[in-house]
Amino acid sequence: MNQKLNVVLMACRQAVPDPLRLSNPLGQAGLNVRVIHEPCSSKVEVFQMLRTLASDADLLWIVGCPEPACQLVEGSFRMAKRVGHARDYLKEIGLEPERLGMTQLPAGNQEALAALAKEILERARRLGPNPARVSTKVEKEQP
Amino acid sequence: MIVGTRKPLAEIQDMVKKYDRLLLAGCDTCVAECASGGRREVAELAAALQMAFRLAGKEMAIREASVDRQCVHEFLLEVVEAAQEADAVLSLACGAGVQALADRLPDTPVFPALNTLFIGETAERGLWLENCRGCGNCMLGITGGICPVSRCAKSLLNGPCGGARNGLCEINLAKELVPEVPCAWLQIYDRLSALGELDRLVELTPPKDWSCGDASGPRRVVRSDQQG
Repeated sequence: MNQKLNVVLMACRQAVPDPLRLSNPLGQAGLNVRVIHEPCSSKVEVFQMLRTLASDADLLWIVGCPEPACQLVEGSFRMAKRVGHARDYLKEIGLEPERLGMTQLPAGNQEALAALAKEILERARRLGPNPARVSTKVEKEQP
Repeated sequence: MIVGTRKPLAEIQDMVKKYDRLLLAGCDTCVAECASGGRREVAELAAALQMAFRLAGKEMAIREASVDRQCVHEFLLEVVEAAQEADAVLSLACGAGVQALADRLPDTPVFPALNTLFIGETAERGLWLENCRGCGNCMLGITGGICPVSRCAKSLLNGPCGGARNGLCEINLAKELVPEVPCAWLQIYDRLSALGELDRLVELTPPKDWSCGDASGPRRVVRSDQQG
């Protein structure tokens, strides 16, 4: 049985200026998608990643710019470090670290955006419901 | 500042597993600076514990609180009040903070979430170094502001041991340390040399009186002018 999974995307405004281009195909594929626009991916703290996975996400994905393109110079670098730290925490918790995804996406690259949507969809379906979030009750996917 | 690191999650989980309502209490001074016990780390640990317990089939009610200084009783009122709704408190403060909180909560179990390590310096982002052992008889005035008690692996007081190689302490041979540990006595020599005050080292330092340190039981400071 297919299940409607919750995916939360925390995306840099520069890397993903139009989040519908990312969320629409995922929604059409049967996922619940929530996009949180960030001024920079480095604004996402480790506790926010963990809280999101503990509360409502089956899969959380942080999207930033390639490191040389970051407007805040070292924002994407910092984001990658934090994602690494959060994944280490997930391992300690006993949850798959893959439930926290990360991509550094060149702004305006539609091919990369489509590939990212595909990767998110495949990852969400492969991992299924997050057993560590508040409620693992999932809705049936709409036909 | 006091430097500490979080205990392994499994150890923390094991300490508090028999309770249902937990208060996580952070401290926003030293352990926040070393990114182990401030409000961010409280929020991280709360979410992590919630997930870990959920995977173990238990729904743990977790509240979060954080105070400026957990080692000062006047700052504890908020935590003490929040603890009334908890079966146990998990403190992310240093050992002094944990004990101050336990003292204020005679009927509530208080557990440490951190291992308290040392008095240290933020050398760079993400790197904290032990620079003071609280020996109670500071000799930084002789050694150019570089402490041989904490920074020399052997706490030698009158020069290097002879094991240094290329300016590095020989403990680097025993284990991989990043960054490598320099020879404190070479640092002292270089510093005093640059200051033109090598003569400070001419006089021998007598054997240290460790009774001022941690060798004579719990230490205390009494200041009658500060007392109420």
